[in-house]
Amino acid sequence: MLRTTSQLIALHGELEDRVAEILRSLAQIHPEAADTLSKLADEGVQHRDMILKVYREGVTDAFEVGYLSKPMDEDEYTVREPKGSLSSAVKTALLNEDTVIRFCRDAAEDSNQLIPGLPQTFLRLAKRKEKRKAALGALA
Amino acid sequence: MVVLDEPIKGVLDVRNYIDGEWVESGSEEYREAVNPATMRPLARVPMGCTEDVEAAVDAAQEAFPAWRRTTPLTRARYFFRLKDLLEQHFEEVSRVCTMEHGKTIDESRGEVRRGIENVEVATGIPSLMMGYNLEDISTGIDEAAIKQPLGVFACIAPFNFPFMVPLWFMPIAVATGNTYIIKPSPWTPLSMVKLMELVDEAGFPPGVINMVHGDVEPVQAILEHPGVKGVSFVGSSKIGRDVIYREAASHGKRVQAQCSAKNFLVIMPDADVESTVPGLLSSFFGNAGQRCLAGANLVMVGDDEKFIDGFLGKVQRATQGIRIGYGLEEGVQMGPLQAVPRKQRVMDYIEKGVDEGASLMLDGRKYDCGGYPRDCFLGPSIFQGVQPNMTIAKEEIFGPVMSVLHAGDLGDAIGMVNASNYGNAASIFTGSGKAARRFQYEVECGNVGVNIGTVAPMAFFPFSGMKDSFYGDLHGQGRDAVDFFTERKVVIQRWP
Repeated sequence: MLRTTSQLIALHGELEDRVAEILRSLAQIHPEAADTLSKLADEGVQHRDMILKVYREGVTDAFEVGYLSKPMDEDEYTVREPKGSLSSAVKTALLNEDTVIRFCRDAAEDSNQLIPGLPQTFLRLAKRKEKRKAALGALA
Repeated sequence: MVVLDEPIKGVLDVRNYIDGEWVESGSEEYREAVNPATMRPLARVPMGCTEDVEAAVDAAQEAFPAWRRTTPLTRARYFFRLKDLLEQHFEEVSRVCTMEHGKTIDESRGEVRRGIENVEVATGIPSLMMGYNLEDISTGIDEAAIKQPLGVFACIAPFNFPFMVPLWFMPIAVATGNTYIIKPSPWTPLSMVKLMELVDEAGFPPGVINMVHGDVEPVQAILEHPGVKGVSFVGSSKIGRDVIYREAASHGKRVQAQCSAKNFLVIMPDADVESTVPGLLSSFFGNAGQRCLAGANLVMVGDDEKFIDGFLGKVQRATQGIRIGYGLEEGVQMGPLQAVPRKQRVMDYIEKGVDEGASLMLDGRKYDCGGYPRDCFLGPSIFQGVQPNMTIAKEEIFGPVMSVLHAGDLGDAIGMVNASNYGNAASIFTGSGKAARRFQYEVECGNVGVNIGTVAPMAFFPFSGMKDSFYGDLHGQGRDAVDFFTERKVVIQRWP
């Protein structure tokens, strides 16, 4: 279970890194979609850094950063390795996007009132990720 | 369990930083600084000597004339560079802080951030240091008040916030044109070693910022040295009053001594339970209770037994769920006490509470500490049935212990707060603006919270405190700090 803001931020980073890694692998296997997949992978790394920056600039010892309002279960946010054709792989990649979007929304709710700007940034990322699903879906 | 990478690998030989150089202490006495979670030695720390302080004061005095003539804007730019470096090394410094102190990584990052915020405030010194003037106080005569630096200042830092506390003082002192000496706690010297590495890299002129390690002898030397114009201290009331305040004042120095506390958190029957409980946990058990803003006494107001029992039940369950372990594990919510004697001191208070008739709702002595050596670990404890005259309700425990008291009404609760010798912080949790206003108005302490558990003033506000929690006039941080580190010189001029 995730109990601290630190864990929340770390898991977000892991999810973004993992998704980016998967997209880069797909780009190697499917050169016809490489440009889009690589761009999406780079975006994920940017998203990770956005959250990390907001956290580091807002973290304080004064408020309740050590205690999430309700612990989150990290097992609910696992991403899967795509297999098979490009079409099939894209479907899995889209499911992974949904997982990260769900994480961002849950994290926004759970980190509300903890660190200035953190919930808003998570929601902003969720919106961006919703939008980029169209680009990913178009590859199928 | 994933432990974050430790930035300190071996055992460091700690040296002083004087006149822009890393130099050996003249002391032959050393102490080991130990990671309280793993009990692994981290550093050999010199206990310091008078000669170390004399060398630092000489360097700081020599650097002062040129530094005070350096323009405020240029001085501010050194702090912009320091801020950039601190951002680059943010994670490393945070981990060092956790390793030497034991606090969780979230707490260390929060501490480092608050230190950086003080550096940020210092970058605004061209505005902060402005004086004021008035034309024509008499015909053709103008009067101005200007702020000038005084010379060499020093701080004597505590173990509990090894990175943040020196930064309450040094940036404003130096940005206003003074030169500076930091004496870190010998228990937790390494965060300051990291800071001084970055100070060096930022290119501050030699002698402007110096560091002397040690214990009693260098403190005494700082207090007695005629070249030191003022001293900032954070630590216990006993040392703050009997040693720092008296000695510094008797040697004609400015002094600000921020000291012990016994902080009350008052729960009104209309408090919002869901939002209050996490705030209490952080206040009472954050930093393992080792901070002067930590909650100590929880005062339940009124006779609504259903509310009180329900509230305390939630507090107890949430407290039982706190995960204890090494702060470099990201899921850990409470680390160890900083050293074995500190744990023993808290254990002694727990014994005392039991002996005096309070009942332990939760006994921190029985906690699991995640497989780490038990030397410094202690779980959170909650005492019920505490009376205001009991030792555990009056004295600062400086550990993860909550004492629950009861008050008939708000007036009684305020009376309890005001009866304390200390006046650092107090909070009220309520949905009533009227109750909150009365509390804020009547309570005798320096930092007041309304629905806030840990009343930690930001870098641009003074860190207040009253009664036995503060000795001096001007507090650390904010405009108080600018005034503490400057003299107001008045100029009246006429040009016939």
